[in-house]
Amino acid sequence: MKDVRKFIVFTLKNQSYGVDVSQVHSIERLQKVTEVPRTASFIKGVIYLRGNTIPVIDLRERLWIGQTDTTDESRFLIVEIKGMQVGLLVDAANEVLDIGAEAIEPPPEMIAGVEARYLEGVAKLKDELLILLDLEHILDMEEVQEVKQAIN
Amino acid sequence: MARILVTDDAAFMRMQLKDIVTKLGHEVVGEAENGQVAVDMYQEVKPDLVTMDITMPEMNGVEALKEIKKLDADAKVIMCSAMGQQGMVVEAIQAGAKDFIVKPFTADRINEALSKAL
Amino acid sequence: MDTNDYIEIFLDESNEHLQAVNDQLLKLEKQSDDLSIVNEIFRSAHTLKGMAATMGYEDIASLTHNMENVLDKIRNSSLHVTTEVIDVTFAAVEALEEMVESIAGGNEGKKDVRDLIARLEAIENGKQPEEEVPVAAKATTQENLELDEYQLTVLDQAKEQGFEAYQMEVALDEGCILKAARAYMVVEAVEQHGEIIKTSPPVEELEAGEVDRFSLIVLTKSPAAEVKQSVHNVSEVESAEISPYVTVKEEAVLATEEIAATKEEAPTEAKQESHKAVTSKTIRVNLERIDDLMNLFEEVVIDRSRLEDLASEIKNEALQDTVEHMSRVSEDMQSLILTMRMVPVEQVFNRFPRMVRGLAKDLNKNLELEIIGADTELDRTVIDEIGDPLVHLIRNSIDHGIESPEQRKKAGKAEKGSLILRAFHSGNHVFIEMEDDGAGINREKVAAKAIENGVLTEAQLEKLTDQEVNELILASGFSTAETVSDISGRGVGLDVVKNKIESLGGKLSIESTQGKGSKFSIQLPLTLSILSTLLVDVSKEIYAIPLSSIIETLMIDEKEIMDAHGQRVIDFRGNIIPIVSLRKVFNIEETETNNSTDQAIVVVKKGNKLTGILVDSFIGQKEVVLKALGAYLKDVFAISGATILGDGRVALILDPNALVK
Repeated sequence: MKDVRKFIVFTLKNQSYGVDVSQVHSIERLQKVTEVPRTASFIKGVIYLRGNTIPVIDLRERLWIGQTDTTDESRFLIVEIKGMQVGLLVDAANEVLDIGAEAIEPPPEMIAGVEARYLEGVAKLKDELLILLDLEHILDMEEVQEVKQAIN
Repeated sequence: MARILVTDDAAFMRMQLKDIVTKLGHEVVGEAENGQVAVDMYQEVKPDLVTMDITMPEMNGVEALKEIKKLDADAKVIMCSAMGQQGMVVEAIQAGAKDFIVKPFTADRINEALSKAL
Repeated sequence: MDTNDYIEIFLDESNEHLQAVNDQLLKLEKQSDDLSIVNEIFRSAHTLKGMAATMGYEDIASLTHNMENVLDKIRNSSLHVTTEVIDVTFAAVEALEEMVESIAGGNEGKKDVRDLIARLEAIENGKQPEEEVPVAAKATTQENLELDEYQLTVLDQAKEQGFEAYQMEVALDEGCILKAARAYMVVEAVEQHGEIIKTSPPVEELEAGEVDRFSLIVLTKSPAAEVKQSVHNVSEVESAEISPYVTVKEEAVLATEEIAATKEEAPTEAKQESHKAVTSKTIRVNLERIDDLMNLFEEVVIDRSRLEDLASEIKNEALQDTVEHMSRVSEDMQSLILTMRMVPVEQVFNRFPRMVRGLAKDLNKNLELEIIGADTELDRTVIDEIGDPLVHLIRNSIDHGIESPEQRKKAGKAEKGSLILRAFHSGNHVFIEMEDDGAGINREKVAAKAIENGVLTEAQLEKLTDQEVNELILASGFSTAETVSDISGRGVGLDVVKNKIESLGGKLSIESTQGKGSKFSIQLPLTLSILSTLLVDVSKEIYAIPLSSIIETLMIDEKEIMDAHGQRVIDFRGNIIPIVSLRKVFNIEETETNNSTDQAIVVVKKGNKLTGILVDSFIGQKEVVLKALGAYLKDVFAISGATILGDGRVALILDPNALVK
């Protein structure tokens, strides 16, 4: 098969999501988060990881699909976009999947409550749909700034 | 006596070269102010030898040398260079330049280069 | 040849090219990565050089030659366009213009350009030490060249096939300029006859230039005389000697083994020595690597404090001793790593001479800038931030400080004003001073302005010392200049400078004598990476407040907090100052009610305004390592960064300036 991409698969609200493995730096267990006051509510705060402070965001809140109650399964998915590391709080991180380019379809306008602008596409697997996230958009600074200004 | 085409973007340098070359008993059959003109004139006047400045607008000396070599594999071209253009000179030699002279020119050096090349 | 015939055409073309360089330089300043502009400048410099050298104007020729070297390196991307490059090139163009003008005036076009040449050379070599070509020792060995095992095998095989080995000694003309290219031509001429298996010095050195004598061994079937002739056919070859090559092995048959052995050793030793001599003591390290090292080191520091806790729990003496030693060593390591981040303040100062020149011209001032202590080192982060405030202060001095030449004359001063920029180390600080011999601060004018702006009452003003009046010009919205000029009257006052310096953990102070001049003094911490802070606790979150902005900490009774027009205030030494609750500002939920009526307040200052910050409790003073919050969380309100506590937790560093009302 040609054009096979690897995706890290994780769960949010019992739905599987995927992000390109090349964008994922590491997967970390939860640790104490230091809140950063007066930032967007989906920004949970910062954590310390190998010499750096890394902002962490609640991915559910970012995608406007609720809030995360952390469990033992919860993980921080540390992703890197444009040289910027951000931790995504997810319900669980499951596996790495090879997905052929032909299995990826453009996203519908809304799926599982998530708007298309946050999505790269949808991959049909044997028994379920994998929603592929567009991290660049999700971590887009301009939108973050807008949210912040709305708060202040 | 040889028929020589002088190439340099500075009119001043052309005049000077022409002066020296003429005094050495050669004839300047053309003056070109850049590489492209030199290539065109080469076809026209078919000189015995070309002096070629390296740094020129339009087409630099090394490119012009390569073009002339395409037209005439036996063309005799002497590069005129300044200090600090070692790399360009080596490239020109690889491309088939017969010799090079370094500015400021001396009549002796030009004489040596011409007699060895011709 | 009589060059006078050509002088007119020389002048015309020179002026044309100088104008072109000027125009292109201005463009380059805006698009410093556009190599086609560099090419244009290079070409003009190059043409100028050729013409000047021919006419015998040596100063023009040598200056353009050095310009060209720098530009050439930029063209080949081994150097980058920096302000220093642009500045020096501008200065060089100015000098060239002067010289050409002098020639036009019938003079010799001479000028002392040594300083400019030295600066160009410094750019060319200094910033690229690894590219510095060591001046190769002249290859004087007339002895047989040594071959290694592989070369000997090649040689043996070649001899079997009927090739002869010759050693050649080639000397180039003394006046030969492009020696590398010439050596290349010699090598090429020899290679028409066969294969060169060895050169001395090695080919790399020949290609680097500066070698006018070299030896080579060639395997060929051509007669020796023919090979020799083709080398002689190359121009600028002074001599070429050829002789059959005898290997050491063959020679050893004649000599005793002992002699052969010493022969073999001697050259190797000499080579090693000369190699040592050129080895530089500095290396260049990417800043990122040092940051990485620092980050890793912080992990060690965190583990260290865990170890310290464990050791004191276990109470094992040997363990405690070891941990203590490790602590000392790691402190030394930390300061060592910090010094690696230090760079000379020169990087910032370098752009000032040209700026001052331009400003003086624009404002019709006549002054000279003197820079002292440009080699003083500062943390890289401070260097990146200090430029703008300094620019502002310099503009201020030239605009408001230094008087016009006429005014200076009237005041009995030298027409030429002086501006001194001085940097030096003292203790844990770096000082940058800017001293001018201008008009100084006019107390009456400042006082009048302060009253007019309602900053102070007349009664208050009378109590102020001169020093305090001077500092008024740093207050926000203060500008005493009677005419608003383009230069510093941009509605941005010195208060911005002061705030910037304070945000860097520094202090700005002024000394001034009316009529004699002013001195602005900036005190900066040696490094920004380490910050002295007070740790405070608010609902179990720990915040660090930089000591540099703290005036005092207070424990006061709740009842002492008063309400004035909806604003909570306290009486702090006779001044009413506002109280800001960190919990409220940050919307922190209360975890437990504070039963004590005692309130912990940190009094901070911004400029001359004070504010009390209400916290839950004080934890203590701590030197912390500053970490940026990163791009994703930039411009967070009242937070300037984060730091890592001993237990690996992140504590936020407060920016008190944002909390002062």
